[in-house]
Amino acid sequence: MAKSPKTSVGRRGFLKSAATGAAALAATAPLAEAQAQRNGTSAVPDAPAPTEAQLAREAGNVRPPATARSITRPGSDLMVQTVRDLGIEYAAANPGSSFEGLQESFINYGNPPNRMPEWITALHEESAVTMAHGYAKAEGKPMLALLHGTIGVQHAAMSIYQAYYDRVPVVMIAGNDPDFIAAHTAHDMAGLVRSYTKWDNEPKTVEEALVALQRAYNEAVTPPMGPTLVVISSEIQKENSPNLKVPAYQPPQYTTIDATHAREIAKALLDAQNPRIEVGRLRTPEGVKHAVELAELVGACASTTATNGPMSFPQRHPLCGPGADTSYDYAFGLEAPAAQVFIQGPNLAKVAAARDTVDIGFGGINGGGGRGGRGGRGGAPAGTRIEADAEASLPLIIDQVKQQITSDQKTRIQGRSAKHAQANHDAHVTALTQAVASKMAGWNASPISTARVYSELWPLIMHEDWCFASPSGFSGGHNNQLWDHNKPYSYLGGQGAGGMGYGAPASVGAALAAKSRNRIVVNIQTDGDLNYAPGVLWTAAHHKLPMLTVMHNNRAWHQEYMFVEYMAGVRGRGASRAHIGSVLRDPFIDYAKMAAGYGMAGEGPISDPTKLSAALRRGVASAKRGEPYMIDVITQPR
Amino acid sequence: MKNHLKRGWPVAAAFMGLALPVVMLNAQGGRRGGAPAANVPPPTSPVTGDAAAGKGLYYSFGCYACHGYNGETGARPFVGRWGNLATEKSFLTFLRGRANVAPVTPSTSMPNFSEASVTDKQAKDIYAYIRTFKSSAPAEAKDAPALNAILDAAKQEKK
Repeated sequence: MAKSPKTSVGRRGFLKSAATGAAALAATAPLAEAQAQRNGTSAVPDAPAPTEAQLAREAGNVRPPATARSITRPGSDLMVQTVRDLGIEYAAANPGSSFEGLQESFINYGNPPNRMPEWITALHEESAVTMAHGYAKAEGKPMLALLHGTIGVQHAAMSIYQAYYDRVPVVMIAGNDPDFIAAHTAHDMAGLVRSYTKWDNEPKTVEEALVALQRAYNEAVTPPMGPTLVVISSEIQKENSPNLKVPAYQPPQYTTIDATHAREIAKALLDAQNPRIEVGRLRTPEGVKHAVELAELVGACASTTATNGPMSFPQRHPLCGPGADTSYDYAFGLEAPAAQVFIQGPNLAKVAAARDTVDIGFGGINGGGGRGGRGGRGGAPAGTRIEADAEASLPLIIDQVKQQITSDQKTRIQGRSAKHAQANHDAHVTALTQAVASKMAGWNASPISTARVYSELWPLIMHEDWCFASPSGFSGGHNNQLWDHNKPYSYLGGQGAGGMGYGAPASVGAALAAKSRNRIVVNIQTDGDLNYAPGVLWTAAHHKLPMLTVMHNNRAWHQEYMFVEYMAGVRGRGASRAHIGSVLRDPFIDYAKMAAGYGMAGEGPISDPTKLSAALRRGVASAKRGEPYMIDVITQPR
Repeated sequence: MKNHLKRGWPVAAAFMGLALPVVMLNAQGGRRGGAPAANVPPPTSPVTGDAAAGKGLYYSFGCYACHGYNGETGARPFVGRWGNLATEKSFLTFLRGRANVAPVTPSTSMPNFSEASVTDKQAKDIYAYIRTFKSSAPAEAKDAPALNAILDAAKQEKK
């Protein structure tokens, strides 16, 4: 049989071909053979092409076997019930024939159907996983992403890698359909992404699948957090399971410090004349709440990483800052190195060592601590590290503090806290005054300065419940100096591994979290980043998400432009061609039109700074109504 | 690895505590912590180049990538802190005097521009153009309502 050299099966093309009509389905030759005949080529295939029967099935044109009609409770219903019991709010996916059984259950099973989780339509698997990434950073818990066999998993690979590098919990299901399209089937599906997933499993029965989903959740949320993957075959998705029940769920166990350590740390905090608490990135809002409670109980000034990412100490809490006296006699760290004692969770290197992995990235996955990782302070002196989960350990310390504290200590702590609060407030106003002066540079310039974008937006959202979900480093990072990051989700930080195509889908994920919580999400969107998978704008419009996108449209990947300029300069070749490959012009991209094409309201391009504030006001109002909005702002390069 | 290096470098650098985040995060003033923008009056030294020709060169040579379209923004703003740009001669000396060493890691430093890549005439034209730049900053924060609102809100925060 003649074969096409291109025998790989593109899902979308495949579906499109199938959808072209009955004529295509009626053809006697398989697709690849027909292509080969058209092309006049012949080659040995590297994967079998779909057969006519397979094409027909993909197009929904096959009558199911008679036995299938007797199914009263498909295994996928139980899987959905398991996910629901875990409290997972959303499942994002781009459809795939390897999980049609699951999809049908997600959208139809239960009363009401399609709730907990609600099915979120993604236009790319990378977007689906990044949505889950953004959601988890905002809420401190996972949502679900479903991936089509092989091709969907590979589409998602970069975003899985980012979630892993960012130590963010994401639960994923990949379909596997061994009797259908070979190109979408794998003996070891998870092997495609195992180097950067924390845990994976391929259950062989429905019962095993239910247990695997529970385990996947627990593994994802247990430090070091990360993405987990359960590969579920189409057979067990559709298997009749009338007598099965969702197994009893055992919540994850977190490693805490022991009672002795808790007692000693509490005593040290209470005995200190001026203790300090270094706070890195905790797991959940509950951890943040406990960190605040401890700082208030002992009157300790705290540091924060809230301007770098989520789940840290509130930036403008009266005890957050240098305080009235910076001569600390005891420093204690929560997921952050400290001079005396700090609690830090295990790192991913340990997980990686236990799995069949290869090093990926910059010298391997950095598990935190020392100079790297979130919450770390480069070069900071490190005291005694206790390897445990800081968040889970906090209640033990708080209990000890409450038991040990004396009335004298309470009085001393009260006075110290008041002095710290005044000093921190004064330090904030001083720093802000300087920052405001620096933001005036280029204030009336056109194109618009990035400082003005952040400055004009902040007064419009400061009294709202807001979440800034996109990374700000490439757009000046002005939120660091101007905005108040007081909620666990105020700023979700960087991409994880610096991978582009992150801002919009992460913001959509954060907006899913925001939707039922009367919160708005801000996405200051770099133009290069948006162009990786802009279809996520449609997802925001379709699901009516409270999200404002403000384009930082500098019409380039500007950092790379600067790099190439420097390289050309040191090689004596000037910079007149440095724009090639890094600048987006000829033609310019019209983002307001792009948004409109995806059904999102918006306006722009705006390059007149005097028109910015009114546009932002309209945008905030729209997001508050649950209507996502895009403002295309032509900006200065950085 | 190549793509990871390209796009991941800023993040990796940030993890490693390198100098880059200072560049990234302080695009509007070059200084972390919001130090006030410098306010050196514009130079009055002679200009011999053609500003109109210099405008085209300022864009085609990518000067705006680091210095903004008006010299006020970006990684290296210069309006208000003129320094090496005080005179035409010092500007040319600066252009020719940059380190000409290929970096191990990507750099956003000012490149070296030899006469082979930017002629004296082109450099003088560019200089003539950038000398037309003027500060667009308001005189005080109160002249920028948003900045004023930000300061007022902070002062009223509960202590």
